[in-house]
Amino acid sequence: MNEDRKNGGAEIPQSPRPPVPQSDPSQPLEVQLGPLRLRNPIVAASGTFGYGLEFTDFVDLSRLGGLCTKGLSLEPHAGNVPPRICETPAGMLNAIGLQNVGIGVFLREKLPRLRELNATVIANVWGDAEEDYVTVVEALEDAEGLAAIELNISCPNVEKGGMLFGNSPQATASLVGRVRAATRRPLIVKLSPNAPDLVLSARAARESGADVLSLVNTFVGMAIDPETARPRLSFGTGGLSGPAIKPLAVRMVFQVARALPGVPLMGIGGISELADVLEFLAAGATAIQVGTANFKEPGVSGRLVEELGAWCAERRTPVAKLIGRAHRGDSSSLEAGAEG
Amino acid sequence: MLDLPGRVRPYLRRAYSVADADPESGEVEFLVRTIGPGTAGLEHLAAGSEAWLLGPLGNRFTLDGLSAGERVAVVAGGIGAAPFPLLFKALTRAGIAADFYLGGRNARDLSIASRFERVVPGEVVLATEDGSAGEKGFVTEVFRRRAERTRYARLFACGPMPMFAALATIAAALALPSQFSTEAAMGCGFGACLACVIPGVDKPFLISCTEGPILPPEKIAWERL
Repeated sequence: MNEDRKNGGAEIPQSPRPPVPQSDPSQPLEVQLGPLRLRNPIVAASGTFGYGLEFTDFVDLSRLGGLCTKGLSLEPHAGNVPPRICETPAGMLNAIGLQNVGIGVFLREKLPRLRELNATVIANVWGDAEEDYVTVVEALEDAEGLAAIELNISCPNVEKGGMLFGNSPQATASLVGRVRAATRRPLIVKLSPNAPDLVLSARAARESGADVLSLVNTFVGMAIDPETARPRLSFGTGGLSGPAIKPLAVRMVFQVARALPGVPLMGIGGISELADVLEFLAAGATAIQVGTANFKEPGVSGRLVEELGAWCAERRTPVAKLIGRAHRGDSSSLEAGAEG
Repeated sequence: MLDLPGRVRPYLRRAYSVADADPESGEVEFLVRTIGPGTAGLEHLAAGSEAWLLGPLGNRFTLDGLSAGERVAVVAGGIGAAPFPLLFKALTRAGIAADFYLGGRNARDLSIASRFERVVPGEVVLATEDGSAGEKGFVTEVFRRRAERTRYARLFACGPMPMFAALATIAAALALPSQFSTEAAMGCGFGACLACVIPGVDKPFLISCTEGPILPPEKIAWERL
């Protein structure tokens, strides 16, 4: 049993995994994210990277640590009526509503092309009910060229499902347990920052079988037109993303890393520069996801791989050594501040 | 999509139609009306400053099926005239005549008209809602009255959605093939964010940035706008 499995305090049914290989000095950017070995820690975030294929003019997908697809459902989903986005200082609100092509089209038209491009593909999935998640995950089980499943239990922009699973530790545990039983693939659970207690949700997901936790999804926000006094988004509220949320996300990664040491984390929230990547790694993330910045600068994920490579080469440091640096000193005052 | 380096407000790039481009000199022209911090940033950009450009994106107006000697109509609402200098150039080259209908609330909205002097291969018709320039009334109505007695082979249009909705009805009544350059808030410009959707007839939503922005009005579900 691996060391990190003990941290939840219970016998955790994770996916079967090979013994963790030693870090390869010739591959200083490689990271071991639970059962997943990634070329590097830079992953494109779900909902901001299409199906990857939209970005081939800007990024060599095979150079990325991975990419998370647009949230996939059993059937195609139309999404919310426009307006769907609204800009905010240093970020944006969105209420796209999980528009996607459905797993049938994904498996037939998108995944084969991603495989040809040698992309590390993480299928982000969602549903209205537990049963839908299970059906989608089962349908993906035999697909060739999927590295992992990421469960979206944190979308704030749909009436059913989504964040409702992420906001209650009981609902999280029940859903993750059922999906865990349905797949042998590495299972990533994307948590909601809107949960009343993120550490409780993280523990529930982990103890129910999540191999990796992604944190965080967007923060529920709202913008109102000052003239008309009407919400700027047709859905009313939306999810806030972009540099505006970075300090909140860094705190949450730090907090979960502290509470659940050894649990592999992917940090997400406002990452657009190398310094942001280093900050999330220091906070305890093993890998990071680039989200909203993909809209502003479509080549950003490839640029960050290059910059991280150069940074590590200059310091002769493997990236694995950068993970959790902020926890190695006495940081108790930081944690008190966060909880106060 | 245009952006200024280091800018965080507004955060996203902005989509602008290419007004004109000269492959020889490498110059690209945009017609921009200042309405907020993003456009103000462009307005106050000093000559020689750096800007980020991603493009060209999406589809384009097409003259396919038109022949020399035919006549088309071009209808614009205010800054909606922005994509048309290049189209008028192409029409002129192809020997196709074009009447340009430019409308706005008042004379100030029509200040862009000066850009079209000696550009339009046909008549320029101005209309304002308050009558301060050109004919008084909606440009769509001015267009409809003339279109009923003119043999137009095609309608090209760009403006706000209410103008498009009115034009769609008029074009349908005249059985006039049309190309509308639609406007929707775009997050990325290349089909990833799915923000710029427009209700469709054959499917729930058309993605304006990749399936458009030029769309035939019969593909748009106007009643769901």
